[in-house]
Amino acid sequence: MFKKILIANRGEISLRVTRACRELGIRSVAVFSDADRESLHVFLADEAYNIGPAPSKESYLNIPKIIEVAKQCGAEAIHPGYGFLSENTNFARACKAAGIVFIGPTPENIEAMGDKLSAKALMKKAKVPTVPGSDGPVETAAEALSIAKKIGFPIIIKASAGGGGKGMRVVRQESEVESAFRACQSEGLNYFADKTVYIEKFINDPKHIEIQVFGDTHGNVVHLFERECSVQRRHQKLIEEAPSPSVPQEVRLKMGDSAVRAAKQINYVGAGTIEFIFDNTTKEFFFMEMNTRLQVEHPITEITTRTDLVKEQIYVALGRPLSFKQSDIKQYGHAIEVRVCAEDPETYKPSPGLIRACRHPQGPFVRVDSYAYPGYEVPIYYDPMIAKVITWGETRDEAIERMQRALTEFILSGIKSNIALHRTILKHPKFRDGSYTTQFLEKNFELMEPELFAEVDDHVFLIAAAITAYNDRRSKDVSGLNISSSWKKIGRKMMLRT
Amino acid sequence: MYFEAEIKNGRYKVDVTEGRHQWKISIQKENESWVHHEILKSDYRRSESYFSFLFKGVSYMMDVVGKDTQYTVFTRNSFRNVKIFNDEMLLHESLKRGGGFGGDMELKSGMPGKIIEIFVKVGDVIKANKPLLIMEAMKMENEMRATADVKIKEICIKQGDSVESGALLLKFEKP
Repeated sequence: MFKKILIANRGEISLRVTRACRELGIRSVAVFSDADRESLHVFLADEAYNIGPAPSKESYLNIPKIIEVAKQCGAEAIHPGYGFLSENTNFARACKAAGIVFIGPTPENIEAMGDKLSAKALMKKAKVPTVPGSDGPVETAAEALSIAKKIGFPIIIKASAGGGGKGMRVVRQESEVESAFRACQSEGLNYFADKTVYIEKFINDPKHIEIQVFGDTHGNVVHLFERECSVQRRHQKLIEEAPSPSVPQEVRLKMGDSAVRAAKQINYVGAGTIEFIFDNTTKEFFFMEMNTRLQVEHPITEITTRTDLVKEQIYVALGRPLSFKQSDIKQYGHAIEVRVCAEDPETYKPSPGLIRACRHPQGPFVRVDSYAYPGYEVPIYYDPMIAKVITWGETRDEAIERMQRALTEFILSGIKSNIALHRTILKHPKFRDGSYTTQFLEKNFELMEPELFAEVDDHVFLIAAAITAYNDRRSKDVSGLNISSSWKKIGRKMMLRT
Repeated sequence: MYFEAEIKNGRYKVDVTEGRHQWKISIQKENESWVHHEILKSDYRRSESYFSFLFKGVSYMMDVVGKDTQYTVFTRNSFRNVKIFNDEMLLHESLKRGGGFGGDMELKSGMPGKIIEIFVKVGDVIKANKPLLIMEAMKMENEMRATADVKIKEICIKQGDSVESGALLLKFEKP
């Protein structure tokens, strides 16, 4: 077993790794930037070292500095968490060169999945379904039609250089192909000075469904079933659940098999996630990309499969074979995770600042991975996510109700948070029946938005503000008397003079 | 103590009176009637970073951040930005509007004050931007002018009257 592990990250994920280390009797080493001296991960680790100024580039992304600290404190391994250096091949190689174990995939694994085009080609080789399409430029309308017939309608024609909705056409029948093709070509030419177009299958009701995989250095790869992460805004996940309410059992097993084939294709080592785009109408799934790291939402897999993914990462890094076989892995009940962010729930603008009151939810089947505490100032430099609340239930409904219950217990003040937004989403009929897609927040949500703050009467806020303003003004009046006017001060001076 | 407060859902008049055993807080939303609340001091708890009171039988733990004119009030994972208008702001607003408000057909006082002089009589036709009356507020004399051509239908105050904010001063009709 390792004696000491350095965690090259911050916030809740650094805490998560510290917890695994402590349970295994490993000393944990936290690193922190100038802005993070008071972050909880620094308090809770066994050791902590400053690695530079607040901007990530000069601290959490500073490879030489982190390697130097690891060497100096005698850490045998580095856990990169997620984000920052977790998918950086230079970092993985620098660790190796310094004789330090990188707790994660091999640099070759990261590279293989880093480039989307080469990843797609690899996946085709492994017979993992990818989004059908032209796989390159389409020159003529006749060619477009023959591709469309091959992959089936609806299709989407896209200008290579396009964006912002320009140079894109969804085509649902043969007769529309030619005009749509010409329109995309000319829009591409007019707006982006490039008439290259390509064709892809159009996904009507897209859902984001991903499969957790785990490989070891002995060639074993196991999947730990899926997570659905379709509640997103601007490609940032907000709520995740496992299992997905939309995936039939036979498709679930197929997705798991595909994910294992994908990981085996590149001899994957450690924890990874294969992301699929899932068509909720046809129940087809297509490879999107692979994340070669631990995910933010890993707890819902841990809870439903009764595993500890961070400990497993450490075992694999030690060279041990996986502690479970595919047949050992089952899904128990249902788990949901919400990401609590320091942000305005209406505008989604970050809301860093001082946390005044903070009390985390408690009670049965609630897990909170958080680094918030009262008196902590959320810095402006990093991700606004401050806590993850995870609940488990025998059924999906129970997990949702339990999450609602847990969120009502969550007290957080001083900064704005998206807890009210989560509570509104969890109530939404589209979420409740599981039919939500990745467009849910943009397309289906406006109707519910006035309810965001409906829970508490406006008068309660006004009363609180009025009492505070009243007290503020009264104490000011009193101090005003004490300081007195300048005339009185001068008068007093004059009196003293004579 | 009288305030005007603004939250996302609208503008309110708020009056706070502190008694020995309770706070009396009256709230009026624009164009609605006054609602009176009583917060018993026996139900009121205060700690360093929050205070708590009972409202309609429900205990709320309130955290109020801010000072002077801008407060953010947090409770139960909900929050409101509350803007409190102080006398200076009310005066400023009122001056921008020519001292009063009330639409085309009436003139209301934008602040508490005293009527110093009235220049018009019932039946007079007044051109836009001509003075109607002078009101003293905040130790300043404010001349209120017609915002459009109007005919004076009714004068609801007389010289020397003290008026509350929002008091009806004059009624107009089309000239």
